Amino acid sequence: MTSPVIEARNIVKSFGGVRAVDDVSVSVMPGEIHAVIGENGAGKSTLMRILAGVETPDSGSVRIDGKEIENSAKASIDAGISLVHQELSLIPEMTVAENIMLGAFPTNGGWTKTKEMKKIAADTLKEIGVEVDLDERISRLSVALRQFVEIARAVARKPKVLILDEPTATLTPAETDYLLSMLQRLASQGLAIIYISHRIPEVFKICNKVTILRDGKLVTNDSIGDLTPDKVIDQMVGRELHLDLTQRRPAREFGELVLSAKGIKAPKVNGIDLEVSKGQIVGLGGLVGAGRTELLRAIIGADPRSAGRVTITSNGKKRVITGYLSAIKAGVAYVPEERRTDGLALTMTVAENIFLPNRKEVSPTGVMPKGKIAAFAKDLSEKVNLRPPEVTREAGQYSGGNQQKIVIAKWLGRKPSFIVLDEPTRGVDVGAKAEIHKLVKELADEGAAVLVISSDLPELLELSDLIHVVRDGKIAGTLTGAEATEKSVMSLAAGEKLVGA
Amino acid sequence: MTNQTVIKVGSTATGFWGKFRSVLARRTEGRAVVLFAIIATFVTVSQPLVFTAYQVTLGRIALIGLVALGLTAVILMGELDLSVASTLAVSGVIAVTVANQTNMAIGVLAALAAGVVVSLINAFFVAIVGINSFIATLGMLFALRGMAFVISDEAPVKLQNTDLGIAFGQPLLGPLTPRILIFFLIFIAIQIFVSRVKAGREFLAVGGNRQAAYDAGIPVKRRIFTGFIISGVVAAIAGIINAVERTSADPTSGSTVLLASFAAAIIGGNYLKGGKGSIIGTLIGAASLGMLQVALTISGVQIPIQEIFIGGILLIAVITDPSSLRAVWGSLSTTFQGIKNSLAK
Ligand SMILES: Nc1ncnc2c1ncn2[C@@H]1O[C@H](COP(=O)(O)OP(=O)(O)OP(=O)(O)O)[C@@H](O)[C@H]1O
Ligand SMILES: [Mg+2]
Repeated sequence: MTSPVIEARNIVKSFGGVRAVDDVSVSVMPGEIHAVIGENGAGKSTLMRILAGVETPDSGSVRIDGKEIENSAKASIDAGISLVHQELSLIPEMTVAENIMLGAFPTNGGWTKTKEMKKIAADTLKEIGVEVDLDERISRLSVALRQFVEIARAVARKPKVLILDEPTATLTPAETDYLLSMLQRLASQGLAIIYISHRIPEVFKICNKVTILRDGKLVTNDSIGDLTPDKVIDQMVGRELHLDLTQRRPAREFGELVLSAKGIKAPKVNGIDLEVSKGQIVGLGGLVGAGRTELLRAIIGADPRSAGRVTITSNGKKRVITGYLSAIKAGVAYVPEERRTDGLALTMTVAENIFLPNRKEVSPTGVMPKGKIAAFAKDLSEKVNLRPPEVTREAGQYSGGNQQKIVIAKWLGRKPSFIVLDEPTRGVDVGAKAEIHKLVKELADEGAAVLVISSDLPELLELSDLIHVVRDGKIAGTLTGAEATEKSVMSLAAGEKLVGA
Repeated sequence: MTNQTVIKVGSTATGFWGKFRSVLARRTEGRAVVLFAIIATFVTVSQPLVFTAYQVTLGRIALIGLVALGLTAVILMGELDLSVASTLAVSGVIAVTVANQTNMAIGVLAALAAGVVVSLINAFFVAIVGINSFIATLGMLFALRGMAFVISDEAPVKLQNTDLGIAFGQPLLGPLTPRILIFFLIFIAIQIFVSRVKAGREFLAVGGNRQAAYDAGIPVKRRIFTGFIISGVVAAIAGIINAVERTSADPTSGSTVLLASFAAAIIGGNYLKGGKGSIIGTLIGAASLGMLQVALTISGVQIPIQEIFIGGILLIAVITDPSSLRAVWGSLSTTFQGIKNSLAK
């Protein structure tokens, strides 16, 4: 019998009063793909950061091939542990090659060997099947590409243990499938992989073993064969959760037209017309890079458009949208894709973050009574199931998924007339996802117009009354919520080439 | 595995101009070059003397640029070193005082050692204690200024070996004085360090995303120490050069250098929050400022007026940052579209 490559024993880590990781032990064999799952804030990322030596545990040890390793980033890397972080951790102004080799530039007595560096980077990219210009700066790449560069960095180190913290959160289904098969291939070569995801089907597709965490404690450590998706979800949330993700919105009548966008042109957007009515949820499907985010931003004036006319009608008043401020005035709430950087002030408290766009609603006079702000924030954070619901904590102290919930809460608090959501549940756990879906549907039922981008097909199908599939900056096809299927959306998104593939 | 490619991007640029443009888009020195070209043209037309008397101009550039070069090492990492101004004064005073009692070589070594000690203290507060570098080095700026006054007894210290001082002001290689030579040597050394040596290349990572740099196994604290040592030692060298060239060390010297150095670095495209910029940019920034100052001086413009000019250029450099320009242009064009549409209605 082989012995585990990596073994974490009795890891404990607290932040202030919160036990983020509470006496957890995990071990992974070579060639094994080991899923670590749990709700937002369960302690998954914290445990992984401890394995990677970038967080110091209060107690417990990490062993590689039976030998205990020191707790430092360098010791972990040297021992063969590579972590792909949940947040992108690349250097924006460095090139793709430099980022892939970051911290591991090949040297000759202190001098970097640029040619060799580029060669290793190129080989790694080839190995994982991604083609990017090695000299391009990261700041000029899309979010999905950055994710692949990050994976390339982890693979370039020739690790024994590869840890991926929600790598598919930013990827589309096709890219996800690609990544999953890549991981299976790496595992078959003997690599031990620890895989974190909120997408249960992925776990059942590639993982051999599953560790489930709840509130920092280990609740299950089982072979995949002994589990079912329902069992996994129940263990994660610690109660029975009845989810029906296949439910569609019944056909209905919509109110007056809220958004009218005609002939929108912008970088990556090649002339798109779009309409959303009161009470209607319009979904935008498509591949990453198809131009959906660009389209949204151009519509609401967050990015310049080179042509096109946008009007938004709210409270009986029709306004031409010339810039982001006029969109806000017209009652638009925009939840951006890059929430960590665009949507949150990490050093401010949850209450302050939620208060920011709702100043008028909470305090029409301009004075800011702390109690009132806290109560307002508390109410909203309960709506999105923020955990723990302590609105006086700094936003930066929350887990990735909980940060998403804060951003959602802060925008939905204003009862906006037009809601624009870009990947609203990326990185959010199953329970909270259901809550957010419910919230969005309720807002639509109350009369809001909703425009939502989602690369999560079941989500897109569940939410949308109408789905536009975007490809190459154009609308490739339009499906009603009732007639759309995962397959029909995918084949429109990919174009003829991939149909049936 | 199938060598299927999921994603493909990058420069789709072809042909010479396409490549040229994509390389240009990746550099940070763009506006520094443009500014340099504008000033150079302006100077060529109005004060060609600036080029005829290039020795003077180069000397001026070296004066402004030397401290800026060292400072850039720290700025790349997103830190500031305000103490350079006083380091310059203290090291000058130490060099001359020690040289008068022993000899010049020992004086130089003592001054350099002072530069290193100052840097170590700065870096200790910033990297280990975790104090904001603006505050830590501001404290240092005051403390060292006081020290310079104490050591010098509040008056300029004369260098007894005046022959050396005079020789130091003379051209050494062709028309180049030692100051100009040292400036170029230091430029080359730091440029090679940040572009070829592993530790130096990692400066940009420390400035661009410190957590990511740390996570990738880069010894961030050590890099911060290195950066401060570079800026401290270069400031000390500048102090020694000033003192020897003038055969006198003035404890009040260096106050204007601080602002000029930051101006050169910023005009050169260095981003004060770190992670973006280059040593070459600083060189170009210093060259632009130096040329301008000489031209204005030749034209008889008073120093205070010159400073107004520098301030103006600094603002232009910052406003014309490509990303802010794009933002301005973008919102203008969207607004314009909107107005056009409203009229068409
Ligand atoms: N730097 C920190 N300061 C204070 N508390 C923290 C810090 N980092 C994490 N925590 C807390 O530790 C707990 C576990 O967080 P962790 O990021 O490990 O969760 P997670 O399982 O990765 O969640 P997600 O699925 O949302 O990414 C959370 O309650 C979080 O608020
Ligand atoms: Mg996490």
